[in-house]
Amino acid sequence: MATEQRTEELIKGLYDAVLNMDDEGTLALSRAVLDEGVDAYYAITHGLTPAMEKVGQLYTDHVYFVPELLLCSDALYAGMDVLKPHIKTGRSERNRQIIIGTIEGDIHDIGKNLVKIMFEAAGWTVHDLGKDVLLQHFVDKQVAIGADVIALSALMTTSMLAMPTAIEMIKTKDPRVAIMVGGAPLTRDVALRYGADGYAQNAGEAVREAKEMLERLGR
Amino acid sequence: MSTKGHVMTEKARIEALLNKQVPDRVPMWPFVPNGFAVVYNGLTIADAYTNPQGLYDSLRRTARDFGWVFYPVMVYAAHGAWEFGGDVRMPTGKYDQAPVVTRHPIERDEDVYNLKWPGPDSGFIPTARRFAELAKIEDLDNKPFRATIAAGVAYGLACQVAGLNRILKWLIRKPDLAHDLIRQISEWSIGGLPGQIERIGVDRVLGTCGGPMGSNQLISARQFVEFALPDIKEGQARLRALGVRNTYVHICGEHNDNLPYWAQVDFGDPGIIGIGPEISLERAAELFPHHIILGNLNPAIIQTGTPSEVYEATRQCVESGKKLGGRYIFSPGCDLPPRAPVENVRMMSKAVEDHGWY
Repeated sequence: MATEQRTEELIKGLYDAVLNMDDEGTLALSRAVLDEGVDAYYAITHGLTPAMEKVGQLYTDHVYFVPELLLCSDALYAGMDVLKPHIKTGRSERNRQIIIGTIEGDIHDIGKNLVKIMFEAAGWTVHDLGKDVLLQHFVDKQVAIGADVIALSALMTTSMLAMPTAIEMIKTKDPRVAIMVGGAPLTRDVALRYGADGYAQNAGEAVREAKEMLERLGR
Repeated sequence: MSTKGHVMTEKARIEALLNKQVPDRVPMWPFVPNGFAVVYNGLTIADAYTNPQGLYDSLRRTARDFGWVFYPVMVYAAHGAWEFGGDVRMPTGKYDQAPVVTRHPIERDEDVYNLKWPGPDSGFIPTARRFAELAKIEDLDNKPFRATIAAGVAYGLACQVAGLNRILKWLIRKPDLAHDLIRQISEWSIGGLPGQIERIGVDRVLGTCGGPMGSNQLISARQFVEFALPDIKEGQARLRALGVRNTYVHICGEHNDNLPYWAQVDFGDPGIIGIGPEISLERAAELFPHHIILGNLNPAIIQTGTPSEVYEATRQCVESGKKLGGRYIFSPGCDLPPRAPVENVRMMSKAVEDHGWY
């Protein structure tokens, strides 16, 4: 069993390794977390998650860019893959769930993938439908799992035209689900016009926006 | 509005700007309205990428209907992957906009060392060549150029050849590999310029450059300078040496951090600096004090706004542009949305016609 000091050393190590894009470091430290009896959930929520939040902030502040973000996320996943299977079951809190995808007609998924990373790092259960996702697929998935949030992404002015249709189709089946949209041609005004509940300008803001959106909607 | 009325043609307006004179009115030159033009003329979006005659006729008719500069060019943003041996899918779905890459020619590190240069009939090249043959024939009063020639696009092509995710990771993890790939593509691209010039000459030929892959939405200015800028400088210098007088660069997306480095490139005397809504006209004019500035209405508003919102946004854009001392061309900041409401496009053009006079 690790001492308190050793535990904090491992947690800080995980935080720094993600921030420094060091996937091998994250992997080794995550194994050490398990070997030395540190709680896996604690290591994720106090090491990996805050590190990715910081990465998101650095991205928003134009200190980190997409290459850094991608490599930080590689480091994050290296740790998550080791630690996640060891999270003790029976926790009382329920993870928020999000369905995410790039909408039909659009194969540009880099933004969507960055948003996905941020939600996973924040502890959400993410159902990634991929890119060029048929509108009905969002509806079917929502009916199947009842997610808290659906996030739709579009980069093109043609594919974004699918958004109001998708939102209407989803809301018809499940009026309670909160839907947020993002992508280069969108603005908050357009998002509202399309019937979305929320809009995130970039990946760094997406999780905060989702939380605020759910609060606004009283969910 | 001026009481002078129409004095100059769109071609004459552009020629005046290239000769550093102030035209009678702000010219209208929408950046790549190809998708809109084919849809407006009853064709499909796929025709913009597969049907040279249909695209040419659509562009000519659309430019005439709306009073625009007629700038015949057949391009798409994901150009490169198909030509180097990958696969693309043409836009046939209800919400598709442009060809997309379905398989990149480079999928492993070692593929960089086995990259085969495109032949004269690879990928999109024969289609673009047929279009270029059509484009150079007619001499019209709204058509200032008869051909275009691209240079300084190796980084963007590399992103299509290897896939964006892979290239972006290489910039940090395997910079030598990224440099190697970009260098090979640059050698192919720049090496082909003399042959192209031999075929088309330099008279009324416009150089082109630009793209979104170097934007600060993706990479830092430091990465732009290291990986993209050298080929841009070399390609444009080569165009100047070959006698191509002017280049139209489309600085696509959010390039604010990069802009001082773009300003180091020789885009001709003057060059045409196209910017998106992410960059202000004033900042572009400050950094490019001797060039023509083109832009920068947000294309999304043309798609999603009401006609009166489009009119007002265009008016504001034109009023800002007119303050640049006469060296301004109005354009949306990126592709005119293919499915933009026609009434919105009409109101955009009307706002320039109403408020663009000097």
